[in-house]
Amino acid sequence: MAKVTREMVEKSGINVDQLVELLVKNSAAELTTYYYYTILRCNLIGLEGEGIKEIAEAARIEDRNHFEALVPRIYELGGKLPEDMKVFHDISACPPAKLPKDLKDIKAILTVLVEAERCAVRGYTHICNMTAGKDHRTYDLSQAILNEEIEHESWFSEFLGEGPSGHFMRRGETSPFVSKFLR
Amino acid sequence: MKEFTKEILARYNGKNGIPAYVAYEGKVYDVSNSFHWKDGNHQVLHNAGGDLTASMKQAPHGDDFLKKFPIVGIMQGFHEKT
Repeated sequence: MAKVTREMVEKSGINVDQLVELLVKNSAAELTTYYYYTILRCNLIGLEGEGIKEIAEAARIEDRNHFEALVPRIYELGGKLPEDMKVFHDISACPPAKLPKDLKDIKAILTVLVEAERCAVRGYTHICNMTAGKDHRTYDLSQAILNEEIEHESWFSEFLGEGPSGHFMRRGETSPFVSKFLR
Repeated sequence: MKEFTKEILARYNGKNGIPAYVAYEGKVYDVSNSFHWKDGNHQVLHNAGGDLTASMKQAPHGDDFLKKFPIVGIMQGFHEKT
């Protein structure tokens, strides 16, 4: 734990235990999403599915990066991850991004993907609102993750025909916003 | 429709098998089956058995999320606008 770090956040008026719990739940959402996206990606096949596979892969890798970036902040603030992986799965801030019943229904897979991203966008907006002007490091991290989650949502939303995303898929390295927390 | 006082609503905290009810703009919703209200808690900060009317304004989502759940009653003194 970073004692003075925690003290500074407490002095800003944030309930640090609540904040840590939120960070743990969102880190669980990231790691479980990484797992479920692995299965979704494997099932993105055929003429329609193959076109989405690469972008689903970028979102999958970036969600794992979000987990990696969140963990140090949890421990700095005096928190920890549950010892039991099953417990960790079940406290996720977002529902499991499970495969739809009809594996050939690419639109249904995209809906699972976009709903997972929307849950994440809401979650990090909530953390940003809670930490803005108070806990600068958690805010910076959450804002970086939020930037990537918004892009993920935009990608999948565009594939669903909800309108143009205004984005192009990643060129080069993944996690353009979060990578500074991974060095 | 069943009328709830603040005290009665507070009993429905979603813990130990008790249903999770929340009030919003005078109506009482049953959120027991929601993934986002496991053990009567939502996003760490909100507990079942309470009134969410004020906190909804700061929520990163609209009230449509809540309004899809079944209404099980109204708060005492609430009169629906006609």
